[in-house]
Amino acid sequence: MDRYSFSLTTFSPNGKLLQIEHALAAVGNGSTSVGIKAANGVVVATEKKTGSSLIDVSSLEHMAMICDSIGMVYSGMGPDFRVLVNRARKAAQTYRRTYMEDPPVRILVKELAGVMQEFTQSGGVRPFGVSLLLAGVDDRGPNLYQVDPSGSYFPWKATAIGKNMVNSKTFLEKRFNGDMELEDAVYTAILTLKEGFEGQMTEQSIDVGIISTIPAVEGEDTLKQSKFQRLTQAEIKDYLSNIA
Amino acid sequence: MSSLLSHEIGYSAPIEVHNHGFSPYVNNEGTSLGICGEDFVLVASDTRQSNGGYSINARRSPKAFELSNRTVIATTGCAADAKQLVEDMEQRAQYYVHKHGREMSTPAMAQVLSQLLYTRRFFPYYVFPIFAGLDAKGKGAVYNYDAIGNIECVSHYAYGSAAALLQPFLDNQINKAHQRGADTTAKPSRAQAVKLAIDAFTSATERDIYTGDWLEIFIVDSEGVHKLTRELKHD
Repeated sequence: MDRYSFSLTTFSPNGKLLQIEHALAAVGNGSTSVGIKAANGVVVATEKKTGSSLIDVSSLEHMAMICDSIGMVYSGMGPDFRVLVNRARKAAQTYRRTYMEDPPVRILVKELAGVMQEFTQSGGVRPFGVSLLLAGVDDRGPNLYQVDPSGSYFPWKATAIGKNMVNSKTFLEKRFNGDMELEDAVYTAILTLKEGFEGQMTEQSIDVGIISTIPAVEGEDTLKQSKFQRLTQAEIKDYLSNIA
Repeated sequence: MSSLLSHEIGYSAPIEVHNHGFSPYVNNEGTSLGICGEDFVLVASDTRQSNGGYSINARRSPKAFELSNRTVIATTGCAADAKQLVEDMEQRAQYYVHKHGREMSTPAMAQVLSQLLYTRRFFPYYVFPIFAGLDAKGKGAVYNYDAIGNIECVSHYAYGSAAALLQPFLDNQINKAHQRGADTTAKPSRAQAVKLAIDAFTSATERDIYTGDWLEIFIVDSEGVHKLTRELKHD
């Protein structure tokens, strides 16, 4: 009766799920995104490459705030990203509705990864063609997670996804150290994107998002952290001018 | 042919109505209170369980429970519903620990309790809980709920058969209500709170037939949950 009650993602004889492999290829075609976890915060950055100068770059949304303490960026298919952003935002608010707190990053990651896994095992659907980088601050401090189309998730100190991920990760391995402050991490993230950038990188062609921990102040709420925010074009321009 | 429909001829045979009178709810009475201090909280419940009439179901049936090393809950209303609700909360707390690797914070637990109650909006738990605990900074917080989950963070509250006797007494002694010129900012000390609870219950026991037998007091401070038991009059 149900023509598509069977999953389209099926095992090949050598134990692989080819649909997921193809989804990863779609991710590999997407613009590069990087993420770095600093000692006092997390930064995520992505290329906003457009094919034409006629596109209104300011209205492109490659970076999304999921809740006050968590932000998300992607490589791969934009429309699939939007669906996951909505799911993540709903999940975060549902959590807030129950616990009056923002979800810890690892909890939201598991939820989202579960959604992505569902689409590898449900009838009539295909896997999401995105890898996600989630950045957030919670009771364990700064967090950076990657979630893949299969539903696998990885905690990272620093990573890159998308077209230029291999070179970018090599670059990060050399540049990253655990004591980095958020400021330095932002510079490093922008430099990493610059490495693989074709043409001139301007404040219009990248998106940068940060979230920082706020040290506990005497007499104040110890669980405070700043909100996830996108850097304005003016701020990105400042960073770029200091690099050039 | 003229109509013989009953509503047109103005007569209908009497219909026999069987009123079975089964109510799923029973009020086991008894009384609970909660008091909030600066760095501690206190909840207290008597242990008498009645059946709404003149009989006693049990003299020593606890109504207040420890939920974690930082939180306690006191219940009044239907003992069966209260038991189920407390077990529900314990399960939710455990689920959270397994998922998060740490205990639920006190405000989170307060919200979960509210949700649990509202989930049964159309067949409510006949329970009026008082939930109390320390927040992340060690400050005390007491929450009272109605049967469908309305949550209120308060300095003190009393529920149950002697609530009308205790609430104004606590208002006067803790909030200094109707005391002209009194210092309304001071919170009770631990010793004061315990004395208030004991005095409140011994007085209530005298006047309320459903309150008595034993009093169980739970105090939560930075070291954990401490339980005190006091005997009340058995008559």
